[in-house]
Amino acid sequence: MAFKNQGSAAPRALVVEDINVDRVILSTMLGKFNCETTIAQNGKEAVDLFLEGKTFDIVLSDKDMPVMTGPEAVAKIRAMGATEVKIVGVSADLGGMEAFMSAGADEFIPKPMTLGDLEPMLQEVISKKNMSG
Amino acid sequence: MANSPMDQLNALVSNMFATGLLDEQFHQLKTLQDPSTPEFVSEVIALFCDDGIQITDELAKLLEQPTVDFDMVDSFVHQLKGSSASVGALKVKNTCIQFREFCKQKSRDGCIKTLDSARTEFYDVRSKFQTMLQLERQVQGFSPK
Repeated sequence: MAFKNQGSAAPRALVVEDINVDRVILSTMLGKFNCETTIAQNGKEAVDLFLEGKTFDIVLSDKDMPVMTGPEAVAKIRAMGATEVKIVGVSADLGGMEAFMSAGADEFIPKPMTLGDLEPMLQEVISKKNMSG
Repeated sequence: MANSPMDQLNALVSNMFATGLLDEQFHQLKTLQDPSTPEFVSEVIALFCDDGIQITDELAKLLEQPTVDFDMVDSFVHQLKGSSASVGALKVKNTCIQFREFCKQKSRDGCIKTLDSARTEFYDVRSKFQTMLQLERQVQGFSPK
């Protein structure tokens, strides 16, 4: 399966995850697609990145985190006007889907995530980037 | 006749699946390792093991307190459940699910009893993971280039 995004600008991904193992796994998965990955360890760190003016093509956020949850962060990010960024909620709690979608996420993936789950979303992000030049 | 490291490795991994220590998620983890990430599985397992020791030690301290902060206990169990699920450590994950129920019930005795089980399961899978990684290094050492 060819993943590498050859000859195109690298998608900028933000991983919002408090569990060390999950951060490494998700970052490695994103690396298969040549993503530039930034890490936030909770929702507040993610929101702070957007407040600093950082932009991303895709955000993958866990639900239950200390300081600020994923859905709380998603709601704040959308309220800031960041409507273009693709936001994906990720959680082992299937009830998290409603919380994320109500907050403004575009998609929800149950944990544990696989490359097969991630690929179509990243292909969409990459296509969008290529079209916008 | 001594079994080769490869035979021992295959037998160990088969046993870990057969006894319910590991589930399919471990196979998913292995698919992420390739020449660009040659140490990925050992790195993730090492992280799981280090975090697991810290978390179980912290849980023991929290449950010794005169007044138990069950929200804090639940938060740590949530982390252990998450990381064990991600590496395919099925028994540890399932024990954590039970553990969280006792947290919701605010049952100190239930939590203490389940922590004992979680620790046993965790140290068992940790030990087997360490053997697995040693055998993999031996197999790589003997593999023709």
